[in-house]
Amino acid sequence: KNFKIAVGDSGGSSQEATGIGFVNALEELSGGKHTGTLFLNGQLGSEQDTVNDAAIGTLDMSLLAINNITPFSPSVGVFTLPYVILSLEDAETLTNGPIGQELTENTINDAGVRIVAWTYTGFRVLTNSKKPVKSVADLKGLVIRVPKNEIMIDTYKAWGISPTPMAWSETFAGLQTKVVDGQDNPYTTINAMKFYEVQKYVTNIRYIFSIEPLIISEQVFQELSAEDQAIVLEAGKAATAASATFLREKEAEIKQILLENGMEISDPENNEEEFITLATEAVWPKFYDSIGGIEKMNAVLTAIGRDPVSE
Amino acid sequence: MTKFWYVIDNIESYICRTLLAIFVCLLFLQVVVRTLFDFSFSWVEELSIYMFVWFVFFGASYAAKMGAHNRVTFQFKFLPPGAIKYIEAFADLFWVFFNVYFVYLSIDFIFNKMNRFQSSQTLGFHLSWVYIVLPIAFALMTFRVLQVNYKKIIKGEDMRDPDAIDLDEVRAEAAELELEKA
Amino acid sequence: MESQIILILFGGFLFLLFIGAPITVALGVSTLISFLYLDENPIKFVQIAFTSVGSFPLMALPAFILAGALMEASGLSRRLINVAESFAGPFTGGMSAATVFACLFFGAISGSGPATTAAVGMLMIPAMIDRGYGRSFSSAITASSGGLGIVIPPSIPLIIFGIAALGMPAPPAAVEEFGQFQTVSIPKLFIAGFMPAFLIAGSLLAMNYILAKKHGYSGSAKGWSARQIWCELYRGFWALMAPVVILGGIYSGFFTPTEAAIVAIFYTVVVGAFIYRELSWQKLFAALETTTWLTGRVLLIMFTATVFGRLLVENQIPAVIADGMLSVTENIYVIWTLVIFFLLFVGMFMETLATILILVPVMLPVAYSVGIDPIHFGVVMVCCLGIGFQTPPLGENLFIASGISNISIEKISLAALPFAFINTVAIFIIAFVPEISLWLPRFFGY
Ligand code: NA
Ligand code: NA
Repeated sequence: KNFKIAVGDSGGSSQEATGIGFVNALEELSGGKHTGTLFLNGQLGSEQDTVNDAAIGTLDMSLLAINNITPFSPSVGVFTLPYVILSLEDAETLTNGPIGQELTENTINDAGVRIVAWTYTGFRVLTNSKKPVKSVADLKGLVIRVPKNEIMIDTYKAWGISPTPMAWSETFAGLQTKVVDGQDNPYTTINAMKFYEVQKYVTNIRYIFSIEPLIISEQVFQELSAEDQAIVLEAGKAATAASATFLREKEAEIKQILLENGMEISDPENNEEEFITLATEAVWPKFYDSIGGIEKMNAVLTAIGRDPVSE
Repeated sequence: MTKFWYVIDNIESYICRTLLAIFVCLLFLQVVVRTLFDFSFSWVEELSIYMFVWFVFFGASYAAKMGAHNRVTFQFKFLPPGAIKYIEAFADLFWVFFNVYFVYLSIDFIFNKMNRFQSSQTLGFHLSWVYIVLPIAFALMTFRVLQVNYKKIIKGEDMRDPDAIDLDEVRAEAAELELEKA
Repeated sequence: MESQIILILFGGFLFLLFIGAPITVALGVSTLISFLYLDENPIKFVQIAFTSVGSFPLMALPAFILAGALMEASGLSRRLINVAESFAGPFTGGMSAATVFACLFFGAISGSGPATTAAVGMLMIPAMIDRGYGRSFSSAITASSGGLGIVIPPSIPLIIFGIAALGMPAPPAAVEEFGQFQTVSIPKLFIAGFMPAFLIAGSLLAMNYILAKKHGYSGSAKGWSARQIWCELYRGFWALMAPVVILGGIYSGFFTPTEAAIVAIFYTVVVGAFIYRELSWQKLFAALETTTWLTGRVLLIMFTATVFGRLLVENQIPAVIADGMLSVTENIYVIWTLVIFFLLFVGMFMETLATILILVPVMLPVAYSVGIDPIHFGVVMVCCLGIGFQTPPLGENLFIASGISNISIEKISLAALPFAFINTVAIFIIAFVPEISLWLPRFFGY
């Protein structure tokens, strides 16, 4: 079978790397019996549309940002809360462990799609054209662009500034004409979009770790033989591993490119403590209900060795 | 025809004009509030998009009622006008087929296939309340297609393309303007 | 498999068009039958019906249609044309040059070619005839400049192109060869349309001068009337502000195009109802009604053209077409020539917006794969279709001009030939020199 795989992002993205990793492993494990075709750039519809298509069984697979699955299966929203994941290792522990397994079960029940692989796209780091940002106080006076995303807007508000929601298609022009001073995105995106042409300062904040799962239509999955199902899941594991490798290699490489293009990269002071406290205290409690209760939150925190929270 | 039947017969027009007026005002309100108070209602954009979708599909049905959907007709230039309406009626059978099939698909989608969490982000209601316009409008459009063909073939009415600019009207208006000037 | 699908899809589409099915039906039915043939569930039509139409930028379409209808009903359009007429002055071919300018002016607020021709022609054709210009010449220049209305922003065809192109990103192979293409946006398209529109207007003015000289259409003996110009400028002040509000709002970053159109609607209502006092409730309802069926008609095509395009993409047919085209030639100039003549041909008998919606999924990937910039491509496409208005057998502009002047279509067509020729030359220049379209948006940082 030739699986049709919708991919939201363009060539060279982490999503594509996961997709290629999956197709290669699939061909190898099945001895050439199965393969997949990637339809990049959202050619098969917006990321949210592809979830419905896969649920109905008219699309085989899709690679998309996790926040586009949240509307269909709210419990996966736990990975989109600020400062839940503090490192790539945290992300791997959570997604490959029992928590990831439970979320996969949830998406099957809620949305009719099964997560078979995870793309690790990395932290959304902050860039701006005005000044180095090391503390929450440094944010004052900066106009930051964010997507229309409640969690991100709330986070910036917790840090004391009101961000500007702006469509992605207008962002580069917005930064260029200084309608906005800054934005946040993973390193791969900053490089692909050549943001170094219009931005100077990078701050390695870690409030959101971008995770982009590969989902398969549960209906399509159930039509496969037990042997083929095992092959798909195995290929998914290989794709996940390939994604982690891609991120480690790529991020180092990109930081170098950005430095060469005149950007300055800095870390937040005090190991980001102030950012973390403000954001988690203000934002987390608002979303306990939608992710299935505070216990779910604590299960996640315990799994990566952090202290649980109380009401 | 009584006023009541007139309204019923133009129901899409009433629905659409109301929707259009409301979403235009909503968007204007949004612009004003944003410009003057640097504030925006989070629900305006989403609500106006949903109203716009309703407006479009009821508008498409209204266009069908007016016989306004564009056809390529230059190949009919040398056919007698009497023959053209039968050929177009035959072509419209495909339209009816498409619409009936689509009504079935949209009902199946809304009632059996839609994700139960898929709700409006800012307004909370389930999106099936927006999608429901599809079976309703396409059913209505099918009725309009049949109605137009009934008028053309059985009643022998001449449905004119609302696009075609009435040359007599244009001429009269031009003459009037001339008079004004003189 | 691919060739069978191409046959069913395009064959079915052309067959249905030929028997007189509406364009939207031809698109929808041929796609539906292809889905059934491929044994795929067409249920994705439902979601596409919703998402293809439910987008914020698309709301600019009814908003601009409504704004245009209201400007007409409120007398703003007429005053703009009077301003242009007052400038005609003592030049050779001055009145007909004023017609071209009137189309440029009016085009800046109206989104449509035939509307521009009707509004301008109604005033300018009789005025030209009065001053001794030939009837067919007067009609021909009006019909020929009416196309400027859709190139000069705000332009409904450019909005439609922008929406269609947003869903049609560059194929990865093309990105690999030519690097990232710029993203398509409606303000960017609008600003890109300016210089090409002025180039076309310039070419029309040049041809107008040559022909007027030949026919001996000299200016009025009276010369300029500063008083009249001042008078018309004064009377037309609020009308002249309309394009300033719309375009200024968009380019200062104050409004999105949709919002600019919304503001224009309220501006026109206020000016029409309280300053010019020409707008009545009845006219307002009529404008709302026209907007209803025009939008419904176009956007139903938007839906069926999107499912049509999706089927093409899923079966990777644009790549097949692009490869076919590239196997004939890889010379970008030859490809442009083929594209332009094809568009001019199609523009003769297909409605403009439908043409854009159908051809973008097929032609834009081809354009990408030879490295053509999407903004540039959109501008050229709209310019070509603008000329389609003035070409028989379905040149809408010609019909309207003929109605005003009482001259047969054949005569006007003949008189319009030199203008069609010079327009075509201008289009080739616009196609071959991308900077004409791309310099201005870049200059403004888009
Ligand atoms: Na225009
Ligand atoms: Na035409």
